[in-house]
Amino acid sequence: MVSLFFENLKISLGAVFANKTRSILTALGIVIGVLSVTLMGTLISGLDRSFESSMSWLGKDILYISRYEWFSDMDWWEVRNRPRMRPDYVDKIRQRSKYALAVCPVMQRGASLSYEDKETRTEIFGTNEDYMETISTDIDEGRFFTESEDRAGSRVTVIGYGIKEAFFGDKNPIGKYIKIDNVRFRVIGVLEKQGKFLGLFSVDKQAVLPLGAFKRIFSKRGWMRLSVKVPEDKISEGLDEISGIMRIIRKLKPSEKNDFAINQTKAFETQYNRLKIAIGGTGFFITLLSLVVGGIGIMNIMFVTVKERTREIGVRKAIGATNGMILSQFLMEAVTICLFAGLVGLLFAYVSSIFINKIFPSTLPIGLSIFSVMMSMVVGVVSGFIPAYKASKLDPIDSLRYE
Amino acid sequence: MDLINLSDIYKIYNVGGEEVRALDGVDLTINSNEYLAIMGPSGSGKSTMMNMIGCLDTPSSGIYHFEGEEVHIMDDAQLASIRNRKIGFVFQTFNLLPKASALHNVEIPLVYANIKKEKRIEMASKALKDVGLEDRMHHKPNELSGGQRQRVAIARALVNNPSIILADEPTGNLDSKSGHEIMGIFDHLHSKGNTIILVTHEDDIAKHAKRTIRLFDGKIVEDNKGK
Repeated sequence: MVSLFFENLKISLGAVFANKTRSILTALGIVIGVLSVTLMGTLISGLDRSFESSMSWLGKDILYISRYEWFSDMDWWEVRNRPRMRPDYVDKIRQRSKYALAVCPVMQRGASLSYEDKETRTEIFGTNEDYMETISTDIDEGRFFTESEDRAGSRVTVIGYGIKEAFFGDKNPIGKYIKIDNVRFRVIGVLEKQGKFLGLFSVDKQAVLPLGAFKRIFSKRGWMRLSVKVPEDKISEGLDEISGIMRIIRKLKPSEKNDFAINQTKAFETQYNRLKIAIGGTGFFITLLSLVVGGIGIMNIMFVTVKERTREIGVRKAIGATNGMILSQFLMEAVTICLFAGLVGLLFAYVSSIFINKIFPSTLPIGLSIFSVMMSMVVGVVSGFIPAYKASKLDPIDSLRYE
Repeated sequence: MDLINLSDIYKIYNVGGEEVRALDGVDLTINSNEYLAIMGPSGSGKSTMMNMIGCLDTPSSGIYHFEGEEVHIMDDAQLASIRNRKIGFVFQTFNLLPKASALHNVEIPLVYANIKKEKRIEMASKALKDVGLEDRMHHKPNELSGGQRQRVAIARALVNNPSIILADEPTGNLDSKSGHEIMGIFDHLHSKGNTIILVTHEDDIAKHAKRTIRLFDGKIVEDNKGK
């Protein structure tokens, strides 16, 4: 049967290359199908990658307590009327909670940073000494501020890697003074290089100050959230407990609804998965459509081929080809066209993915590539079957007489 | 044992509600190394007879033994196999595959017989040599003359060492010189021990054969062995 396989392969290749224009036009639907499924995969891989690195910055085991839910359809005025977070919640949570490993308040605002003649606008964060526990970034140089520095309201700051590069280049920034909105702060540490969050803003362009100093200088009543780190295997218990504690702090009656929100990165994941399903679903639909159209094209051209080669089929049968051999010959021809189409689609996808990668880091998933080529072969088998079956059932006598 | 034994063969078609007896109770025995011509006007059942002997068709009723095998009860796959192993066809219009070289055309029956590549090339080359085309092996049909094409077809028919060679108007599309050459090849093959069955309506061609059968209205009306 091996020799028959190679014979069929030879016939198929011969037929495909003998009718180049026809083969190309026929294959177009499959090419587009493979292209759309693989590019969709590339896109999702890129989204996955940037999402994951962004999520690792947030931390899975961190509960973010604030006035509003990250993804919610609540009315804005209802959220607005909720009481603010207060710094004294930190100690209250620490006292009551057995799951909280670290609790820190975070205030945030935009500010202008300058050093000598260099200036940049960025986000500054006011927080306490637990902050480092609640982010996945480490200190690159120097140190973080201490509890006493926080309580004393010391004017010290830990800057992001991007700020360090912009202001100091290769020089050591530790001990230098930078101005934050014209107030002098001493640089005591630099955070590790991070990258962008969801591709939106650079996490490396930030400065972290003790909350005491932040509140005194910049904002007494600013917007605040609390970050609570809980053990990774006790996230839901931690969530329940912290929720209970917050209700006690807020003195809520059992009948009253929560007037605060506890967010997790899971909320991002849910939202992200929805997006992924939307993209995947659209891509799948386009793929399916072009494969069906492509399959019909293949079937059509195979009917024409069988008709054209009726006499050849008769000869082959006369010299000993069985129905099965004829069936396999035409089936193989359909599969060959589809395989070529699949490989061409994949080639286009590969070239496109190189360009896409330059704008948006992503890779063509290998598994999906193999799958898409297999899938195009399946289309070949499915759409080639009826014409091939018809060919195999032709009567040798009639076929030999066919003009 | 007889090579071919047809006994009380009927082939009945239904054309527009009317019964047509293409073969109407035919009995025929063909022995090994016979050189037989089947003659008759069109509509006499000549082609049906050829298809029947060539195992392309099965009878409506009757018994057909080919080297002891019961052809009349065979299914499609068994018929394909017996054609492949025991019968070599030569057609009026050559019926070569246009895109394949002479050698490849001759190889095809061996592919269906599942013979390995090296062996195939060896056998196909030998068959082409036997018909005098050893220097045209890699030419495609459109690079060959009509006579040469028919010789490729004869090589293809010979390559499996079949029990019979069945030629349907083998010179019908050739000029008389090429036709003469082709008949020379058949004569030669017969002298080497092959069994040859010609289907023709030309007396000149039939003259080469040692036995002539005439068909008329699906019946054998003359069986002339006396040559």
